[in-house]
Amino acid sequence: MTIDPAEIPDFSDLTCTNLMIRLKILLKKSGTDAVVECLVRRDQRDTIDVPFSHSGYEVKIRKLDANRYRVSLKKKDPGPKP
Amino acid sequence: MTSHFYLFGGPLSRGRLSWIEESLKFYFVKLNPQNLLHNSKPRDSIFTFLLTGDALYSLQNPETIPVWEIILSMPSVKIICDSRELDLRGISIERLKMKNHEQVIDQNSLALNGQPSFWKDVMKFARQHEQPVPSTVGYLQMESPYMHQSAHAALQFLEAGVEGHASVDLYAYLDGVHLGHLGQNPSESENIGKGLEEVNDKAQKRGLSCQMIACGRCAAARGYSTWDDGQGVVISTCSIKPFKIRNLKEMIDMFERNHIILAKDSASIQMKKGGPLASSPPAENGRKPPITLMVTRRPYGTEMAFGAISFAVACAYEGIQTRVIFIEDGVYALMGEHKLDKGTHFFNLQEVVDAVAGSENLQFFVFRPSLAHRGISKNKKLNAVLDIGIPELGQLLFFPPTGVTANHQRVIFF
Repeated sequence: MTIDPAEIPDFSDLTCTNLMIRLKILLKKSGTDAVVECLVRRDQRDTIDVPFSHSGYEVKIRKLDANRYRVSLKKKDPGPKP
Repeated sequence: MTSHFYLFGGPLSRGRLSWIEESLKFYFVKLNPQNLLHNSKPRDSIFTFLLTGDALYSLQNPETIPVWEIILSMPSVKIICDSRELDLRGISIERLKMKNHEQVIDQNSLALNGQPSFWKDVMKFARQHEQPVPSTVGYLQMESPYMHQSAHAALQFLEAGVEGHASVDLYAYLDGVHLGHLGQNPSESENIGKGLEEVNDKAQKRGLSCQMIACGRCAAARGYSTWDDGQGVVISTCSIKPFKIRNLKEMIDMFERNHIILAKDSASIQMKKGGPLASSPPAENGRKPPITLMVTRRPYGTEMAFGAISFAVACAYEGIQTRVIFIEDGVYALMGEHKLDKGTHFFNLQEVVDAVAGSENLQFFVFRPSLAHRGISKNKKLNAVLDIGIPELGQLLFFPPTGVTANHQRVIFF
């Protein structure tokens, strides 16, 4: 499913800490299979990339312009249970 | 010697003193029963309470005196009062002093100007853990100047640090960012902005470091003009020169170091060795002093509760073992089910706690007696917030978290 770019929340005004909080709230609300997307600044991109990819999320980042990025987060598939 | 100290500048309620009393009993009875034997009384104090400002009223209040008497009956507990603040308020501590004259101190050390200085006494404790010289001391300020005397206390702390040849850090958070506003001109009070500039000058002349870092989010919200060039450099045109407005992360970077950081109401607990060890050798993160944030205020009425959680998230993200304890009126943050209009910019605190709980290095607790005392219960959905009583609180305060090798724990009251 493609998200209408106009509907993607723009979080570029948020501080890194509040961005983390906002994203965690959205991910919690969205359920396991959902994709959460947002627009962020360059420095915010790094705040998202490492911690979320280390904590079980698939992080995709697309550069829109010099200081604007589109980020999408999705819970990684844990794979079949042994 | 194990030495723990509390610095209190705000009002000390019977409720707060009571849980402190219970945690001290836990320390002596469960963790260090050898201190209770008469022939093994250590000469130095194990717990020291440094009291200034409105905290001093607790020494005369009939509601709190009995609790102080119990605390002082424990071995090696000492109270050091700010004598000038006692005089200013006309507080008499004779009743407590009569019974415990060696434990209740109302004479302060003399500063270089020959005047008694409570903050010089504070500095003796703040620097006791330090190894490298020159050492550093830090102060987290969360209230604005002039409305709150704590701003004056922050300045005195920094002045005492520089006088004692320590490098000093000021961390301005929430309303504390107003300390650095340009052009302060009070007619009936010491000029805090000017005082900070003088501290900075004095430190530089002595070859000491002096850092004043203000939280960028807090500053922007309060109208400090900032500009971000995309590299994270933030420049303000309305703050004094030594004041640097920075991302909260840069302030937290300072908390990764081992120096003592105090606040208006805070504590430094020396960590008991022998706590749970990690199975692997201590990592870099293990050397960072853990932090416990006591959320003591009701949610929403002030920014304190959200400020604490936001600060905790930032600490945890930087690899600092962080515990948040909802206690006293802070437990109202967990009562009932909070609802917020859709699309609002504000945070629903319960939603925030629920979302960030489970993050690496971050744990949430609620002090059960505070809930019971208020006749309320925790929202059942908040199962990531663990209920604790006195034994668990004692464990959290006096044992290091798993894998932590730092020699002390910071406790800050929000």
